[in-house]
Amino acid sequence: MNRIIPLPDKRNALVNSLLLALLMISTLTSLSTGTVQVSLADTLAALLGQADPMTDFVINELRLNRVVAGLLCGAALALAGCLMQTLARNRLATPGIIGIDNAATAFAVASVVGIGLSLAPSAMALAGAATATALAFGLAGAKGTRGYRFIVAGIGIGAIAAAITQVMLSRVAIDDANAAYPWTVGSLNARNPESVKVLAAGLALGYLVLMAITRALNTLQFADAVAIALGTRLKATRILGLGLSVLLTGLAVSVCGPVGLVSLLAPELARALSRPGKIPLTASALAGASFLVVADLLGRSLFSPLEVPAGIISAIVGSPYLLWILLRPTPRSLT
Amino acid sequence: MNALSANRVLASRELLPQLLVAGIFLLLVILASLLLGAGPISAHVSLETLTGSTHPDAWFVISELRFPRTVIAVVTGLALGLAGALLQSMTRNPLAEPGLLGVSAGSGFAVALAILLGASTATLTTVVAQLGALAGCGLVIAATRVQGLGNDPVRLVLAGATLSGLLLALTSMLMLIDQRAADEIRFWITGSVAGKPLAVLATTLPFIGMALMLVLAVAKPLAAMSLGEKAAVGLGHHPGRIRLMVTLAVALLVGSATALAGPLIFVGLVVPFITRAIAGPDIRRTLWLCLPVGPAVVLGADVVSRLVAAPAEMPLGVVTALIGAPVLLAIVRAGRMPSL
Repeated sequence: MNRIIPLPDKRNALVNSLLLALLMISTLTSLSTGTVQVSLADTLAALLGQADPMTDFVINELRLNRVVAGLLCGAALALAGCLMQTLARNRLATPGIIGIDNAATAFAVASVVGIGLSLAPSAMALAGAATATALAFGLAGAKGTRGYRFIVAGIGIGAIAAAITQVMLSRVAIDDANAAYPWTVGSLNARNPESVKVLAAGLALGYLVLMAITRALNTLQFADAVAIALGTRLKATRILGLGLSVLLTGLAVSVCGPVGLVSLLAPELARALSRPGKIPLTASALAGASFLVVADLLGRSLFSPLEVPAGIISAIVGSPYLLWILLRPTPRSLT
Repeated sequence: MNALSANRVLASRELLPQLLVAGIFLLLVILASLLLGAGPISAHVSLETLTGSTHPDAWFVISELRFPRTVIAVVTGLALGLAGALLQSMTRNPLAEPGLLGVSAGSGFAVALAILLGASTATLTTVVAQLGALAGCGLVIAATRVQGLGNDPVRLVLAGATLSGLLLALTSMLMLIDQRAADEIRFWITGSVAGKPLAVLATTLPFIGMALMLVLAVAKPLAAMSLGEKAAVGLGHHPGRIRLMVTLAVALLVGSATALAGPLIFVGLVVPFITRAIAGPDIRRTLWLCLPVGPAVVLGADVVSRLVAAPAEMPLGVVTALIGAPVLLAIVRAGRMPSL
């Protein structure tokens, strides 16, 4: 047998650099936009540490944290979505749709309003994400990950989790409830620095592991028998992938709340652009990061001085697309 | 011919005791609703007040607080239960629930928009809620006509959930724009039967009356439709007309319920699920049984919402979601999707 020697992947490299450029532009725009408008040149100078103290303060102290948090969250959610789509072989199986982010939110809110447990939001959100995933897979049964049953189970779990969040919010003092509110709609306002650091570490680790198992993940697109014949350890790969997906979702939610549609839209965009046949992990992460940064930018600037949470913006942008996927007369490989 | 009429007698004989039991259960729930509350008036004092003793505080609580919310919960449950049964029978989809499919959210969004634009009279809100529900219902029916989607219950539900999410996001955005409107909308949108004036009920009753007449007219043709569209045509019915009437009835019912209690999801899923389990697949019997079961479910959920978090109250929508989501899971988990 002749082994096919893979050509250098020009298309994917091009797509990735385009997305990276897009991410840089949106980041810079987001940094320069706000109540104090800073020119792009000054923004760059401030990032390099060569601006006047005032600009330096606005960019590096006030805005940079927020933009970096958004960037990390978007990348983590998009990676998690791309991974779960691959594992379930279902484009719709993303953390936002199967209720994982809602469950993580419920747990994170529990940690903030202080019901019994006082663990850090990151740990609680992780526990929530893991619980929801286990429930969704458990309820869908052995054959369930392929097909809609899995997803409706997720909708049910998401509804229960959202209701529990409401219960907790209605039972605590108004100040605690207000503190937890941004989480329930998905906003970068409530981030706490510790959670952002944990997310950055988790994202770096997750990305490295994913790069190491890319080949095994790529074979998951084929039938099980083919994947096994190609030397993939199916069970180990699936468990590792699912674990990473849960980790990334939980950590991202602990920072920005349920901005779930990013995990559907970014991988979709990446798949549409990249060469078919491979899982566009890097492209998804870049697209997700840009998406959340832009959503946050729009939310801050559209109705300024009002601030629309990024979760609402992403729902308004993302839902019509999801509807279009669902309502098209002949769906392209939905399962 | 004889066998046929014997069958019919048998059917009514089976239905009557079921209706009676459900009716008695509903009466018990109504009694519980009048007796139990989150406040300091105990069930014992309430009972004495109801049977004649004068206790001004208790009398006020019962007649001014508990009685209105009981009536509103009963009417809401009736409307949502019927709407769910109708929609499920017509789309032949056990998951087709007005709340899940976005009809309630459409109605809610319309009302939020109206409040933002300055509407505050109860009448206007009711009409707007009907229009929003009609638009949502039209969308759902249009979606089921899309090739392939009608035969795929779960995909339809997912589309509905997405539509609901979109409308909820738009509603939240409206709430951000105007603080005064936001307070009014927030009070209304959480889904609750507490603190609603009976005047709203008066404005919705005509719509519910119209819907009930439509239901009476459409029940038999709908039963024929469940044999398949061709069979219905063969029996002399017009599927297009039936579909239109059902759409109207569902929109009127959901619009009224939303105007009364705000968007409540899952009620239209739970009630027909229970009644189908009791009465079997015939839509006419299901509809009859929805009359006592729907109010019992909503009112029961309301009583629970008062007691669970006492002395505070939990939003009713939360209780219905906690009851409804497991039912959704149970339906999906069943080995084979039950077809209607």
